[in-house]
Amino acid sequence: MVPEGKVEVEKTVRATLGDVLGLTPERVASFDDETPLFGALPELDSMAVAGLLTELEDRLGILIDDDDIDGETLETFGALTRFASAKALQ
Amino acid sequence: MINSYDWEGGNEAMLRFGPDTGPVVLIALPLLEEANRTRALVITVLRMLAGHGIGGALPDLPGTGESLLPTSEMTLEGLRSAFAAAALSLGSRPVHVASIRSGSLIDVQAKAAGRWRLAPQSGPGLLRDLHRVQRVSELGDTKADALVFAGNRLAPALIEALDQPPAATPGPLREVAIQSGQPDPVIEGPALWRRSEPGNDAAFAERIADDIARWIASCDA
Repeated sequence: MVPEGKVEVEKTVRATLGDVLGLTPERVASFDDETPLFGALPELDSMAVAGLLTELEDRLGILIDDDDIDGETLETFGALTRFASAKALQ
Repeated sequence: MINSYDWEGGNEAMLRFGPDTGPVVLIALPLLEEANRTRALVITVLRMLAGHGIGGALPDLPGTGESLLPTSEMTLEGLRSAFAAAALSLGSRPVHVASIRSGSLIDVQAKAAGRWRLAPQSGPGLLRDLHRVQRVSELGDTKADALVFAGNRLAPALIEALDQPPAATPGPLREVAIQSGQPDPVIEGPALWRRSEPGNDAAFAERIADDIARWIASCDA
């Protein structure tokens, strides 16, 4: 798929994180590939993970099998975006 | 003002807003956790609708809010029947139903001049959410009870009823999404129902109230 698809997915992941976790736009705008998520953001507890996955499914029109999710998928913003891109742009 | 209404299973509380005459909006909150996350937004919307001269009513339903019925005994049938009774209790005024998310599963039996739905969620969609929360919260825990979802024990009959195709509703219907790319009209705003901490958004509430007010005017025209 075209590279702009990836930019679009990253934008969606960023917005979804902001909405689900109630983060300020400035804070999510500062996220880069290396920004740690799970374990580093107190807002991202297991309940929030469930909401985040479901919201990503709705917004990207993808289906996520919970077995595909492990600690690494949510380790950094970059890892989560790569995971979402792989699902959305396959 | 806190009012109440009777339904075949008892009496439940109902918050009332705005004028006592003219059109009134009856709200169906989403089921379970999402109700807590959207209540503040809905109250803000109802206050703004009162500013438009439109009445508002937010009923507790059997098994929700201050209801004496335990959550574990809540059924979809009971929720629908009580919601319909709440609509009837508003008298001869035009009753417009507004439901948020899975509230769209509850509003189906109410006699209404029109139905307005924000980001409606299907029963199977809600079930999928519940099972996901259950699985994710099981990660650090011992094996959870199959009928306990995020701390709520639910009746097997409720689970079964949620797994059904949507019920048809008579009359005018407007469904609104919060992001583009979907067939429904869009009111942009945050998915507050996903937020781990309940939040509110006055600008979003204003867009919702304006849309509902226009919708009511178009139904009554």
